[in-house]
Amino acid sequence: MEKHPETLNGIFQALADPTRRAVIARLGKGPASISDLAKPFDMALPSFMKHIHFLEDSGLIRTHKEGRVRTCALEKKPFGAVESWLSAQRALWEARTDRLEQFVTAASSKE
Amino acid sequence: MSPALNPELDLSISRIIKAPRAVVWKAWTDPASFEQWWVPAPSRCKVLEMDLRPGGALVTHFSETATSDFGPHLSACFLAVDSLKRIVFTNVMVAGWRPADVSGMPLMTAIITLKDHPQGTDYNAHVMHKNSADRNMHHDLGFHEGWGTVTAQLAAIAERRV
Repeated sequence: MEKHPETLNGIFQALADPTRRAVIARLGKGPASISDLAKPFDMALPSFMKHIHFLEDSGLIRTHKEGRVRTCALEKKPFGAVESWLSAQRALWEARTDRLEQFVTAASSKE
Repeated sequence: MSPALNPELDLSISRIIKAPRAVVWKAWTDPASFEQWWVPAPSRCKVLEMDLRPGGALVTHFSETATSDFGPHLSACFLAVDSLKRIVFTNVMVAGWRPADVSGMPLMTAIITLKDHPQGTDYNAHVMHKNSADRNMHHDLGFHEGWGTVTAQLAAIAERRV
């Protein structure tokens, strides 16, 4: 991944926004239509579409239109291969430990 | 007792956390604190039960976004709780060591160990899983979960950069 710092920066930028993170998390479970994706958010459709375009431009998702329905799916390549179930579990615990670390170091610096 | 690590089925995560052991212990054992780091933002975690003793329940609910409804997430049972040192829990059982209904669920036992370290706390999470058949059964599920977790991991890094 370090070979593609531009791609990586794009990913970081794309993930720096809570709406976009939520969209990615939802697509992690499988493809979904724009209207389904937009439902949980209290924002106008054009604003939501900006986030979708951002994700598409950064190569994290792909969209295709059938009739009047545009469906989004996760583009798996940029995430690097999660080869196995165990590495998925590892990622979960790594991220969890990161958050614990952040939480306690923030807490102890306040004391 | 610290069981041997099976590289096929287990994962072990060690981290030197620059905070005193008591602070890390409290982040783990205080429900309001636990809720703040257990799942990645914008998802939310709610602790329904955290009964810190062998046989005690650990039950959490999960909401995917800031606005979506909460639903069941983790239903587990503590096996060992040694103040400031160790927490062992499993989703193979629920409160009171009752066997859980585990159909279609990845089974795990997690051993969390805290040790003093010159820089703060030496934190280790050793997570054990069932056999390979179970792994293969959950491969597809894990695959999807994997994207979510990798994303969460990236997001955690991204959040720190913002």
